[in-house]
Amino acid sequence: MSEVQRKKYSDKEKNDIFDNEFMPHIDSMYNFAYRLTFDEDDAKDLVQDTYLKAFRFINSFEQGTNAKAWLFRILKNSFINEYRKKSKQPPKVDYQEVETYYNSENVDYTITSDLRVDSVKDMLGDEISNALNSLAVDFRTVIILCDLEGFTYEEMAKILDIPIGTVRSRLHRARNLLKEKLRSYAQNMGYDTDEEI
Amino acid sequence: MEENNLETSGERKLNCGEMGKCFQLLESILDGEAMDEGKAVLDEKLAKCQPCFERYHLEQAIKEVLKTKCTKKAVPTELIMNIRSKIEEFK
Repeated sequence: MSEVQRKKYSDKEKNDIFDNEFMPHIDSMYNFAYRLTFDEDDAKDLVQDTYLKAFRFINSFEQGTNAKAWLFRILKNSFINEYRKKSKQPPKVDYQEVETYYNSENVDYTITSDLRVDSVKDMLGDEISNALNSLAVDFRTVIILCDLEGFTYEEMAKILDIPIGTVRSRLHRARNLLKEKLRSYAQNMGYDTDEEI
Repeated sequence: MEENNLETSGERKLNCGEMGKCFQLLESILDGEAMDEGKAVLDEKLAKCQPCFERYHLEQAIKEVLKTKCTKKAVPTELIMNIRSKIEEFK
């Protein structure tokens, strides 16, 4: 978050921005926080911290610009700096390897999937949610931002502090992983996949 | 996979010579990121190339179910009240 103070809002202007530009996004913010933390109390704390920071730094927000992306960026940074740290799960992976993998823009677009469109359409909300939730947080995040929240690649690049090329490649990897999860669900639930024919 | 496509492929070719490039473009188009020229290419790909046709519709279906079916949690009412009272304290 840029903390350069661009504005000096009056108290009334601050309240207007907070009520009319920040609060309407609380539903998306809470769902994003829950999908990051999987815990209702942590999600509540994360959203509350985000809104308090947003108010504290409101002078660095330009009224009428993209409040949702600005808020999501604060929430994502709070999650990384505060909540991820206290996660009970110890790191099980080689971060250098993961970093290289996540950020590499050299991605194979030719991987195909035998998942069927009809199987996807027949799936229940919980199955879709569980598949999404089973992805590593960085992959889960790009799918949430793009497909659930409708952010553009440029907005995602700003929210995540990564280049647009990395957004694109990470999203593609995330979608391949999600297709694999959905394919497993489809097979377990007895839906058709080409492989069974 | 190709065998399964024989009956439904119509006049579409069953192999895509530039699959990597096409799939990347299809994803960009679905995400609303492609330039106008990309959209013109899309119509041709969907009409003439079976792997591109299948990929586009699969990605579209997944994007749609993510958007419409993912379970959403209602915002706890006390959260909004807590935020407002903390803001008042801050003021």
